[in-house]
Amino acid sequence: MTRDQGSKLFARGLSALIASAVCAAPLCGCVQRPAPPARPSFGGDPARGAILVGRYSCGACHEMPGIEGADGLVGPPLGTFSRRTMIAGVLPNTPENLVHWLKSPQAVVPGNAMPDVGLSDPQARDVAAYLYAER
Amino acid sequence: MLSRLWRLIERFFTSPKLMLLWLSGVVAGLLSVGIGALIVIECGLFNATASTPHLPAVALAAHTAFIRSVQVRARSIEPPARFTPAEVAAGFGDYDVSCVACHGGPGIARADWAGGLTPTPPYLEDAARRWRPRELYWIVGEGVKMTAMPAWGETRSNGQVWDLVAFLEALPDLTTADYARMRAASGAARPPNALPADLAADGPPYALPSHR
Repeated sequence: MTRDQGSKLFARGLSALIASAVCAAPLCGCVQRPAPPARPSFGGDPARGAILVGRYSCGACHEMPGIEGADGLVGPPLGTFSRRTMIAGVLPNTPENLVHWLKSPQAVVPGNAMPDVGLSDPQARDVAAYLYAER
Repeated sequence: MLSRLWRLIERFFTSPKLMLLWLSGVVAGLLSVGIGALIVIECGLFNATASTPHLPAVALAAHTAFIRSVQVRARSIEPPARFTPAEVAAGFGDYDVSCVACHGGPGIARADWAGGLTPTPPYLEDAARRWRPRELYWIVGEGVKMTAMPAWGETRSNGQVWDLVAFLEALPDLTTADYARMRAASGAARPPNALPADLAADGPPYALPSHR
């Protein structure tokens, strides 16, 4: 096989690959979930949030992907939090509402099982960023 | 038995040379593992600080070892058929004094420093759904190495440890308001560091060194 033949074969293979990808793309679109709503940046760091979530033992009550031992079933699972509509069933899921809820859940729903753990405002923003990063 | 094992070895290792090769391989493997462990320990490669989390593999191994250890060792413990409200109340009294700082309660946060422990102590809302009563008895009474969980059986009677288990069994059904009501009801002052009356029946917690 000459070099010319080889390059022709390569080009044909490549075009076949692109063609099949183009044909398959709408199929992928059928099974893909709708993209979660875009969240404006609000000064939280998801990596720091992941560390805080471990430190505050959130996983004792919540299922959270990527957090060691976070398999609790006391509260709702948080792996799809970015697509949740309401926080605790009473607050629309916006970044500012989430930060408020994380800082003082007892003020939002008095007597609920989630304690005010004493997160500072930057800490609550980090945890919120972590929750929105999981989708 | 031994001769059968030897025959199996003979069939596998067709020549003495092959056997020597295998043996030296095994010895070299063991040696390198030992030397590796020594290097990790002596050079301070293991980070023993509580401010850094365990490596995920280490955390998984340690946590699984803890769960299996409890399950196996608690097998022969016979729990009471049922817990009385009095036992739950007694368990609450102890929990609210000794446990709540690290483990929190329904709607009640842990002490702020509990987040500085590695591994961090869990909330126990659903502990009774994760563990059998006999396993909770074992964890509370015997404690957990390298986690800051004390062996409460060293300072409490078997009955008092069962009281704590009784409370943990009731905990999934308690609301934040229930907990507050129990706290108000158990206003009776508990003398700090008083020796429990029935501790003597269980014998001393550990052998005292003989006086020379």
